[in-house]
Amino acid sequence: MRRAWLGLLALGVLALAQSVAEILDRVEKNLQDPWQAVVQGQVQGPSGPEEFRARVYALPKENLFRIEFLKPGSLEGNFTVVTEKEVWNYLYLTNQLVVSPKEKAQVQGLGFSPQGLGDLKALGERVSLRLAGEERLPEGVAWRLLGTAKEGQGFASLELYVLKADPRPLRFLFRDEAGKALADLRVVEFRRTPLRAQDLKRYPKDAQVVRR
Amino acid sequence: MLGFLLASWALAQGRLEAGVYGGPGGWTPTLEAALALEGGEAYVRLQGERGALGLAGGLSLGPLGFLAYGAQGEVGAGGLGGVAFAEGGAGPLALQGRLGYRPQGAFPLFPEEGLFGRLHLRYRLVPRGVVGLLLEGERGLRAEATYALREEATYTLGAGFASGPYLVLGWKGEVGEGMEVLDLALRLGGVNRLEAALYLGEASLFLTLSHPWAGSVGAWLGDLGLEVGYQKAPYAWVRYAWRWP
Repeated sequence: MRRAWLGLLALGVLALAQSVAEILDRVEKNLQDPWQAVVQGQVQGPSGPEEFRARVYALPKENLFRIEFLKPGSLEGNFTVVTEKEVWNYLYLTNQLVVSPKEKAQVQGLGFSPQGLGDLKALGERVSLRLAGEERLPEGVAWRLLGTAKEGQGFASLELYVLKADPRPLRFLFRDEAGKALADLRVVEFRRTPLRAQDLKRYPKDAQVVRR
Repeated sequence: MLGFLLASWALAQGRLEAGVYGGPGGWTPTLEAALALEGGEAYVRLQGERGALGLAGGLSLGPLGFLAYGAQGEVGAGGLGGVAFAEGGAGPLALQGRLGYRPQGAFPLFPEEGLFGRLHLRYRLVPRGVVGLLLEGERGLRAEATYALREEATYTLGAGFASGPYLVLGWKGEVGEGMEVLDLALRLGGVNRLEAALYLGEASLFLTLSHPWAGSVGAWLGDLGLEVGYQKAPYAWVRYAWRWP
């Protein structure tokens, strides 16, 4: 009898794990075409909570993402480009493009990883996610996924909401070890739109390129 | 052993810039080489009778900023020298600092002479407005304060003091359909200097003109750098850069 219960429990855990993989798979398939969106909310800055707003552009088939920071004001003009192998961080104030291999790229101080905003599958690889149910959000019914971050991500846990009707992320809630919200971000103004790789990779021609 | 060293050098990320500088004293080779190390790079600079060996490190803060720092030791004509430097930005603050000493300068790789220093601080007061403060010293002190406003282009207005007060005007923006960048800076008064640069992508063009009369025109055409100018005497500098991998 006990074995049967354990077996059922194991099957349940497996089913839930499969559900997460299936949800991420559905998101990936649903977001094959180029899309753009705005991610906005609050992040924990050095001097307290700050308003955050960024425009995300994605060419998923080419593994290419661009995040243009609009708020806080100290980040306006900065952008991050994530390619298949590298992360480019453009810094407006110093007019530098800092290029790092993807495995070395770190995001300290921001409290979360902006790369994951556009590339959910990559985020799923850095966070052990589990399905925690469903919830009704203004956009519709959403899956609620909870996860614990692997080491060195800049956050300890993640709460992720994925729209069921049109599988795509709606909300990211990044927390630290104490459970304090580091970033609470919503995805708005989502639309599928033609994008060109050369536009996503564009940076000022006078920028100093620094390879780390 | 030599093979192993050469293989290590070739496998690690690096750059080599070799050239020749011609002035009143004849032609002198110039060489700059850098090799990436874990967390930074080691570099050498050689020109005529002067050489430097340096180490530089960097700290990347992702989209928040980047800080580079390092030091170089020098040997050569006149005796020992050295320079320490730090530059970069984090959030709303950017800095560029440099402090060094060399008994004898050697233009163009070692232009300063004696005790020299530079501190350039910039602070983003509002998202599109940056205030700057520059202090520079080499045989005299220069101080400059600027305000740069970014609309479509960036407009800079400022004032400084060197041997006398001077005005700073600047304009930088994208021009043409290819989004080429034009950068202009004019200083008038105690310092008289026009600097212009046009960045076309694969090529960049530079012009400087100052009074008392000195000036240069230069270009980077891909990996080839060409420069001719006048600085107390006419000069020319040709160099080629290799980067790997």
